[in-house]
Amino acid sequence: MNKESSRRGGPRAALARFLTNERWTQITVPIFCIILTLIVSAVVLLVLGKKPGTAFYSFLAGNGFLQKANYGSGSGMISDFFSFLNIMAPMLLAALAFIFGYRCGLFNIGISGQMLLSGYVATVFIGYSELPGAVARPLVLIVGIIVGGLAGAFIGFLKYRFNIHEVVSTIMVNYIISYVTAFRINLKYIDMISRSSKTISSAARLTFTKVQIAGCNCNIPLGIIIAILAAILVHFVFEKTVFGFELRAVGSNRNAALYTGVNVGKQMISAMMISGMLAGLAGVTYYLGYTNTIIPRELVSMGYDSIATALLGNNSPIGAIFSSVLITIFQNGASYMSSAVGVAKEIASVITGILLLFSACGGYFRRLAANYLRKLADEEEEAKKAAAAMAAEKGGEDK
Amino acid sequence: MGQEREEYIVEMRHITKRFPGIVANDDVTIQARQGEIYALLGENGAGKSTLMSMLYGMYEPDHGEIYIRGQKVNFRSASDAADANIGMVHQHFKLVENFTVAENITLGIEPMKKGLGIFPYVDLSEASRKIAEMSKSYGLEVDPKAVISDLGVSIRQRVEIMKMLYRQAEILIFDEPTAILTPQEVEYLLKSLEELRKGGKTVILITHKIEEIKKVADRCAILRRGKLIDVLDVRTTSTQEMANLMVGRTVALQTDKSEAKFGDPVLVVKDLSVRNEDKVQVVKDVSFTIRAGEVFAVAGVSGNGQVELADAIAGLVKTEKGSVTLLGKDITNDAIRDRVEEGITYIPEDRQKFGVFLDFNLRSNLALRRYYKEPFSHKGILNFDESQQYAERLIGEYDIRSGQGAKTSLRSMSGGNQQKAIVAREIEQHSPLIIFVQPTRGLDMGAIENIHKQILQERDRGAAILLISLELDEVMGLADTIGVIYNGQLLKIADAGTLSSQEIGRYMMGVTDNE
Amino acid sequence: MTYINSLITDGLAFALPLFIMAVGGIYSEKSGVTNLAVEGFQGFGAFIGALIATILSLKSGLGGQTIIYIAIAAAFVGGAVYAMLHALLCIYFDADQVISGVVINILGLALTTFLTSQINGVLFGNASNKFVLETSYRFSVPGLSSIPIIGAIFTKVYPFEILILVLGVFFWYLMYKTRYGMRLRACGENPQAVDAAGGNVYKIRFISVMISGGLSGIGGMCIAYSLLVQYSPNIYLGYGYLAIAAMIFGNWNIIPTFFVCIFFGLAKAGGNQLCLVMQLSSLYTNLFMIIPYVLTLVMMIFFSKRNHPPKAAGQPYDKGQR
Repeated sequence: MNKESSRRGGPRAALARFLTNERWTQITVPIFCIILTLIVSAVVLLVLGKKPGTAFYSFLAGNGFLQKANYGSGSGMISDFFSFLNIMAPMLLAALAFIFGYRCGLFNIGISGQMLLSGYVATVFIGYSELPGAVARPLVLIVGIIVGGLAGAFIGFLKYRFNIHEVVSTIMVNYIISYVTAFRINLKYIDMISRSSKTISSAARLTFTKVQIAGCNCNIPLGIIIAILAAILVHFVFEKTVFGFELRAVGSNRNAALYTGVNVGKQMISAMMISGMLAGLAGVTYYLGYTNTIIPRELVSMGYDSIATALLGNNSPIGAIFSSVLITIFQNGASYMSSAVGVAKEIASVITGILLLFSACGGYFRRLAANYLRKLADEEEEAKKAAAAMAAEKGGEDK
Repeated sequence: MGQEREEYIVEMRHITKRFPGIVANDDVTIQARQGEIYALLGENGAGKSTLMSMLYGMYEPDHGEIYIRGQKVNFRSASDAADANIGMVHQHFKLVENFTVAENITLGIEPMKKGLGIFPYVDLSEASRKIAEMSKSYGLEVDPKAVISDLGVSIRQRVEIMKMLYRQAEILIFDEPTAILTPQEVEYLLKSLEELRKGGKTVILITHKIEEIKKVADRCAILRRGKLIDVLDVRTTSTQEMANLMVGRTVALQTDKSEAKFGDPVLVVKDLSVRNEDKVQVVKDVSFTIRAGEVFAVAGVSGNGQVELADAIAGLVKTEKGSVTLLGKDITNDAIRDRVEEGITYIPEDRQKFGVFLDFNLRSNLALRRYYKEPFSHKGILNFDESQQYAERLIGEYDIRSGQGAKTSLRSMSGGNQQKAIVAREIEQHSPLIIFVQPTRGLDMGAIENIHKQILQERDRGAAILLISLELDEVMGLADTIGVIYNGQLLKIADAGTLSSQEIGRYMMGVTDNE
Repeated sequence: MTYINSLITDGLAFALPLFIMAVGGIYSEKSGVTNLAVEGFQGFGAFIGALIATILSLKSGLGGQTIIYIAIAAAFVGGAVYAMLHALLCIYFDADQVISGVVINILGLALTTFLTSQINGVLFGNASNKFVLETSYRFSVPGLSSIPIIGAIFTKVYPFEILILVLGVFFWYLMYKTRYGMRLRACGENPQAVDAAGGNVYKIRFISVMISGGLSGIGGMCIAYSLLVQYSPNIYLGYGYLAIAAMIFGNWNIIPTFFVCIFFGLAKAGGNQLCLVMQLSSLYTNLFMIIPYVLTLVMMIFFSKRNHPPKAAGQPYDKGQR
């Protein structure tokens, strides 16, 4: 009986059940958002007179998931795929940084600043040193973690001690970092031709460049391993540890956390510090991995794109692995898509923006679906009652 | 037919209203005559407020019709209802705290003037005069220029009443108006209601307090679980009869209580003062002692510092001066968790804000006092098997109803069951001191009885109980010792048997012995 | 002497656009909608304004100054229309208002950058990411401008500065003296009170967020004319966030916020002038650019604890809830 009624209601009800399914809602809602985004993007492309199919194919081909029309010498699907991983690594780490703050109720909008600062410090102290790779690479990671952590902890402290909203303070700190590092780079480390900082020693770089695989020159990133490990670790901390439980408690209901006896201030500062550490890792994998130089005054848009990644991944570290794959496909595939289809490559950011827009409404979609289902159930109940009443009446008449 | 209808100023026929998952009103019909006080009696969740919200245009009924003076109406908003001369005083006042009395009263019908002949602006000078006049003529004095945040609850209620009168409302709905008042203020309000009736107004009074109905109402409709049970003539019906109809079974109006056996002092509070966020001193030099096996109840009007007092003892707010001693140990500056470990358990007033995590499941919420200790966790790693077993035991022992057992998210549970979960979790601590703040707020009769029983059980076990309640009946029924708080000060501490409710009421309004 | 003069002149030219954006922020937050989207609003508004200005100067025979006024009006409309997205998300879709603000900012940057190059491609055949604007004319008030020091206030004034002052007075009047303003403020404190009094909370908030977007758009357009003399992604310099910080120090009141903005403007211009006075190379401008941001942080440390944001800001209003 129950099973039968749960199947009723046509495609709308089926969609509603798809979205509200207790077990799978963490996955179904993002999928729904992705589909909506693809539809909207396809419409935009059609309006611009381009073929959406070709565009989406090119996005995938640009990342080595599909075959491009032709390849230059020394490049192929495999090298495209490694360069995809190379940029996905900092994206995933940055998303984890946002998630770590967000699960504790803090919005770390300062990820790009924290990335820049740790990238800068690691570049100056390790990147320009003569240290051998076996020492330099671990040091780069450690410097990234420490600098990012300090920057994050500072924000947490301002929030806890002075009640300064972290969104405002991170933005201010972002600009301060970008101007100060730009000043230092322009003063001491500038490469006059490229107008960016001098390149770092390859021994300190977290990406092994020009590794020959199947005839292709591949850039193999260490970062991706670190990023995946970090995602698993973050997942473990949140789900299995007392510390993670307390962080989630603070994020879920600060008053109740206080009542429970959680040291709210300490946990907020810790969350922000760890968020900063992850951002620091993202920074070194970006500036000392994906690139090997810093453009003065530029805050990478990845700091913001990582928010999209986190939201799309439902603020779960494992979800973020999948969502960072998707967002990186758009971001990294934009250039090839642009040349193949002839749309400005900025459309990739627009698509990310739309995806973010729908993701922000995820909760609303779920509620809408749940309300619709409840309405159906109520109607069914009423229909049953009416039928029973009618039957009873009939029975009475028959007598 | 038409003639028959005109006899009633308000008529709601066959009203049904559904909310997701619940039928709030099921085929309810009520009829009120002009110039009567018509009471709606029912427990929490019986659907009284929902019914009146429809009369006031805040919801539209799914089925059924509403007639005002024999005319069928279709209210789409509160302003439609206001246009039909209906006014309502809600349980939670709808006042803007940083506005003046006059601004609040005129909100929505702001009187306009034109500056320099072209710039329209809100002009309250004449409205203020009118408000002052009206407030005098009804004996409801308010200063139109006072800012709401400076006013006490009973004055705020007057502002709400003035809001209706200013809009020339003829049908006045009161939703649980006495819940927050002292006995004297209740008397005053009931007199005002009679005054309004004399003035020809129709009053609809929503309440769960039968004595009030007995005192002022002409007729009384009883609602239970969304259904209309009966409409009674108040003069010819006994209190017990009404109580039975309201609850649907025979109820004991008194709680049985055994003789108290006091032990050693558990909690000693000395000269305790607390300042709130705005640096206002809200608890002033409070001193008292609670012994083992004693229920110490603090009576007082809401907002007189009782919650801050409880928060300070539990460590949620900082103390300004004074000391708190538990079992002989000074805990004045201890962290919250240390106090829990030393033996304080706290059932907070606002359960959803403080007591539970709505996003977490029942299992996590039940383990809140233990998750960080062995065997619930080991070296910082949580042990879910242990908390699962623990949750299952508590769910069984305390009869916590939830859809999917320990996995159920708290958000999907009813308020009563959330409260059961909190009480279960806290009582399981078997602490020497248990603080209850408004433990029965918003619960139905059965649940209230249950919690009262548990409080007394804990007392008999030898716990010291600090009970803070706005319900004077609850205080009188459970306390061994009563302290009355007014404006942050404990004005009177006395054995429960030695104070009448009238005396307590006087202290609640700040009248001291030497006056 | 000239340093002090240009400090005041430049300071005001920056402070006033910042002020009108902050007023925008106040309108949204006082009505109960947290607004971190000022940055996106101002950028989008400026984009629409610059687009209209570019098209007009290309296709119409209108004079440069007329176009500036039309561009500012277009920026108001553009900002207001774009703000509808934030209003929709926050008021009807119950999205987290902080998240929504961030989303609006990211999408704004992406959309305007994409559209600028797309449109430039169509108009000029090259996909440049900026619209070059005409230089706004500036005037000095004869007589007044020759008074020492104070005269700088009346020297080389952008016409939009006067416009912003007029708008500031008008929107102050609208918020504190009119029926709509009274209800708007009530919505930010206790929306239930407005609902019970027959006001439409959703509508009031929606309009307020649109006004917020419009005013931010004006601010963005003015910055495009004064600071950048072009429209480009550089418009997203964080001034929207600075406006929010000003609003917070101003405790969500228009008049104190005005003085905070003047202070910010002077601080920023002061940094530039200091660099000149000390005859440092242009490399050092980057260092002096941090002054307003550092000041913001420092002031936040002193003022954040005493702030009273509108009580209902950040919470979606649910009519069914009582």
